Amino acid sequence: MNHQPFEEWLLNDKNLNSAEKRELDLHLRTCAHCTALSATGLALRSANVVAPASGFALRFQQRLAAQRIAERRRKLWGAMVLVLSGFALLTWFVAPFVYAFLNSPAEWITAAVSYFLFFASSVQALTEAAAVLFRILPDFVPPYMWMVFVSALAGLGLLWTISIWQFSRTPQGVSA
Amino acid sequence: MNEEQTWVIQAQQGSDEAFTHLVETYQTPVFNLCYRMLGEPDLAEDAAQETFLRAFQHLHRYDQKRSFATWLLSIAAHYCIDRLRRRKFTIFSMDTEDEDGNTFELPDLDSPNPEAESIKGQTRDRIQAMLKDLDPTDRAAIVMRYWYDYSEVEIADSLRLTVSAVKSRLHRARKELAGLWQEEETRAETERRPYESPAF
Repeated sequence: MNHQPFEEWLLNDKNLNSAEKRELDLHLRTCAHCTALSATGLALRSANVVAPASGFALRFQQRLAAQRIAERRRKLWGAMVLVLSGFALLTWFVAPFVYAFLNSPAEWITAAVSYFLFFASSVQALTEAAAVLFRILPDFVPPYMWMVFVSALAGLGLLWTISIWQFSRTPQGVSA
Repeated sequence: MNEEQTWVIQAQQGSDEAFTHLVETYQTPVFNLCYRMLGEPDLAEDAAQETFLRAFQHLHRYDQKRSFATWLLSIAAHYCIDRLRRRKFTIFSMDTEDEDGNTFELPDLDSPNPEAESIKGQTRDRIQAMLKDLDPTDRAAIVMRYWYDYSEVEIADSLRLTVSAVKSRLHRARKELAGLWQEEETRAETERRPYESPAF
């Protein structure tokens, strides 16, 4: 049986004029498929809205409170596990050195002092080299190059600020 | 700015009281959607509560240019779809024999339950029984269309589908429901026949 255009009318919930209604009624008398479509459409449109049992908002508040407690507990446990793991890891790395230090403290103190002296002298040498470089460099670089350098830095800073601003004002989606 | 928008803004700023107003306002539409999707009052209550909890936790992501009701129903629909898919998977993956080889009955999701029966009695809704045979996303589309008068665009927006996909899902679901309706009519007709008087 040809269901067109009746099936389309029923599926799209079309508003029918009186002539179309008459045509549809005639078709429904002979077509079980379209009758079922029409009946289900009517049932769907007349179905009522079911409300929850009273006290729903109160039950939600209780659930929210329980969720907050559980979350706080989870965070506390997380922090404890993190601290304990960090402590264990630190012990694992430091234990051999502590053991060696306790066995021969004089040797370790000598090594530490020599490392400190090496570090201090390196820093001093680097500072002197940098001072010399800064004294000599301005004579080699023309003034306009400094202007180009400062302008490029300002441009990059501006670009970065605009990007951050654009990113932070993008609307967020609805997905949860 | 209307009252609802004020509550949303206050809730976004951390006011529990404002969010409670929103829960009170939308508890029925959210519960109804969950009930139509899951078919059982207990599951619907749990799903509706979870919907509000998720909404509360993700309130900072709500775009105020859109309808709050649509956003909320979208969360509820997605939660119910996920839950139905998980339930289907659990039913298929459950073994009906334990380690000792003893068989046990799987819970019948359609078995009569006093609470469900009372709600069914209240609503006198024949279509509800048929909704459970639809694909979860098709079911969500049907509920949004016929219980909330959502346009195809709004459904597409809520279910993250294209408008043409929504249209084809709605048509498919309507045809499926009509088929089930016809089957039920035929069955009822066959059951009635043996009791009919031979004189007729």
